[in-house]
Amino acid sequence: MHRLSDFRGSPVVLAFHGAQWDPARAEHIETYNRLIASLGGVAGTRLLQIGGTGPWRDLSFTDASLSLPVLAADLAIAERYGVGNDPAVFVIDSTGVVRWSQVGPISLANPTDVARAISVVAAPFVDARDEVEAPNEEPSTGWTRRDFVATALAAAFALALRPVEAHAERAAALAPPTHTARLVTLMVNGRELSLSLEPRVTLLDALREYAGLTGSKKGCDHGQCGSCTVHIDGRRELSCLTFAVMQEGRRITTIEGLATGDQLHPMQQAFITNDGFQCGYCTSGQVMSAVAVLDEPWGPTDDDVREAMSGNICRCGAYPGIVAAVQEVRRAQATNGGGNRQ
Amino acid sequence: MIDFEYVRATDLASAVRAGAAASTRFVAGGTNLIDLMKLDVERPSHVVDINDLARRDPSLAAITELPGGGLRVGGLARMRDVAWDARVRERYPVVSQSLLLAASGQLRNMATIGGNVLQRTRCPYFRDTAMPCNKREPGSGCSAIHGINRTEAILGTSEQCIATYPGDLAVALVALGATVHVHSPSGQERTLPFASLHVAPGTHPDRETTLRPGELITAIDLPALSAARRSLYLKVRDRASYAFALASAAVAVEMDGRTIRNARVGLGGVATKPWRSQEAERLLAGKPATEATFHAAADAALAAARPHRDNAFKVTLAKRTLVRALTEVTA
Repeated sequence: MHRLSDFRGSPVVLAFHGAQWDPARAEHIETYNRLIASLGGVAGTRLLQIGGTGPWRDLSFTDASLSLPVLAADLAIAERYGVGNDPAVFVIDSTGVVRWSQVGPISLANPTDVARAISVVAAPFVDARDEVEAPNEEPSTGWTRRDFVATALAAAFALALRPVEAHAERAAALAPPTHTARLVTLMVNGRELSLSLEPRVTLLDALREYAGLTGSKKGCDHGQCGSCTVHIDGRRELSCLTFAVMQEGRRITTIEGLATGDQLHPMQQAFITNDGFQCGYCTSGQVMSAVAVLDEPWGPTDDDVREAMSGNICRCGAYPGIVAAVQEVRRAQATNGGGNRQ
Repeated sequence: MIDFEYVRATDLASAVRAGAAASTRFVAGGTNLIDLMKLDVERPSHVVDINDLARRDPSLAAITELPGGGLRVGGLARMRDVAWDARVRERYPVVSQSLLLAASGQLRNMATIGGNVLQRTRCPYFRDTAMPCNKREPGSGCSAIHGINRTEAILGTSEQCIATYPGDLAVALVALGATVHVHSPSGQERTLPFASLHVAPGTHPDRETTLRPGELITAIDLPALSAARRSLYLKVRDRASYAFALASAAVAVEMDGRTIRNARVGLGGVATKPWRSQEAERLLAGKPATEATFHAAADAALAAARPHRDNAFKVTLAKRTLVRALTEVTA
């Protein structure tokens, strides 16, 4: 058993969770390892273990390894950080300052997104070797690599803290009775997202505001412009005119899921090659629509493309380039005899 | 949008029971309902999702052969699937065309046949909660009659409401004489002629159909009708695609040489409900397929038209639309 003060001088993550949550679940370790891999081994950190029982955990970090001591079950700590029944994660840097916190379910989609998001908000971090060379210097001018890794791991930890489907009933039981929010599990770009949503949240808002997937755009929000187009079970649909809760069990693909790694989908490349956009706001919807159009039984002419794509409005008037892009991909498919989707 | 309770129905019996409760709406495609909920025009306290019914009973979303040559279209079939169905395209071109000329590709992938025919009859003032509207708030008055009424109806209007029924498919279905299958909360199935599904506004513009609370359209039967093979849907809009009709015509004819043996005529974009003109049909039956015949039929179809300040053009436009549709379908 340790005390929080034992970790002064090293970044610490405090993770609070409900009594039902099992911190030793193997999938959490997998989440951390994926995150660490995605960070490219910045600090050479390796996850060793998660274990023990109790209402909260702390994780502490060293450059070479990660250990997970169990703190004494001190409810005063939860009180001090204002934590109730919700899961919560706090990152405390080497000097004892809270650098990042998350209370309640969060919606960052995966460790890579988490790392990317945090790298945006983080100041350039201080090389850990500088700390070694100047141990008396106050490190609060920037984040250390260890702070950074700790924060990224904490975000992943917060992700893992979200109740999964099996815990939906318990989560619902904890929610105030007048609240209609429920746990909604969406399959987006091949990944399962569990989000706490009221039924009135549209799929578009769930993607943008809860899952951090802002590629799908909100133009008119009334099904008139097409900028929110996504694929549901392979068909193009308008994410602004369906409730997220209605899409459980269906396969959703957004613009973020179209490319294969760094290799663009042929339609994305064709929009670039053919100048199929100017400001770009409608483009993700145009591309998603165009990809699906080639799976619909339209004819091959430019007029067919214009009719098929009439649900996607382009305020910049990039229509000639859009038609050219769709036709280029259509011709390439006809030549290759290949499928539309990768 | 106000919050609501969401229920995912798994079987027909529980769906219609839940749907019969006050302030409850079914949702399938959601494209009309959710749009109106965002505007606070529709404010249901409960929404019953019926999409899963088709998982239990795939016939609810299927297109199946009827004895005698008709087709049964499940209420949960999507507009896209009916529009491109080879049997529909061959035997009911007017149905396929009315669907493909409606909405957008994305909306057709979402919207169901049952929901499409039940889309709200609406006008810009119905969508604007700052304005009086007898349909939205009975007794509050009609903003359109003396307001901007270019897109409003000229047939079937009343002193209370002149909103246009905006759909296309229903115009084809009323012309063909389709049959609607309805599942009731009592557990009973009932059928009604498509022409009996919608009602003109009269003194109750808030009431648009004859369906009772909780009743659900499970299927629509396309009749075995020889004229249906020679049919088309012509739609005139402000822009070339993805717009409501200013005027449209659904026509089907059975020909004997150059003589029209019998004809079906539906009009869209001009009426408060899916409009069938039996006056025009009577004037076409047994007549030669000439321009004079078509003009006489069009005059008869629009004889009862009552235009308002901005939409008198629709009288001429609807006549010309019908004449052109008849010219093309008999060519």
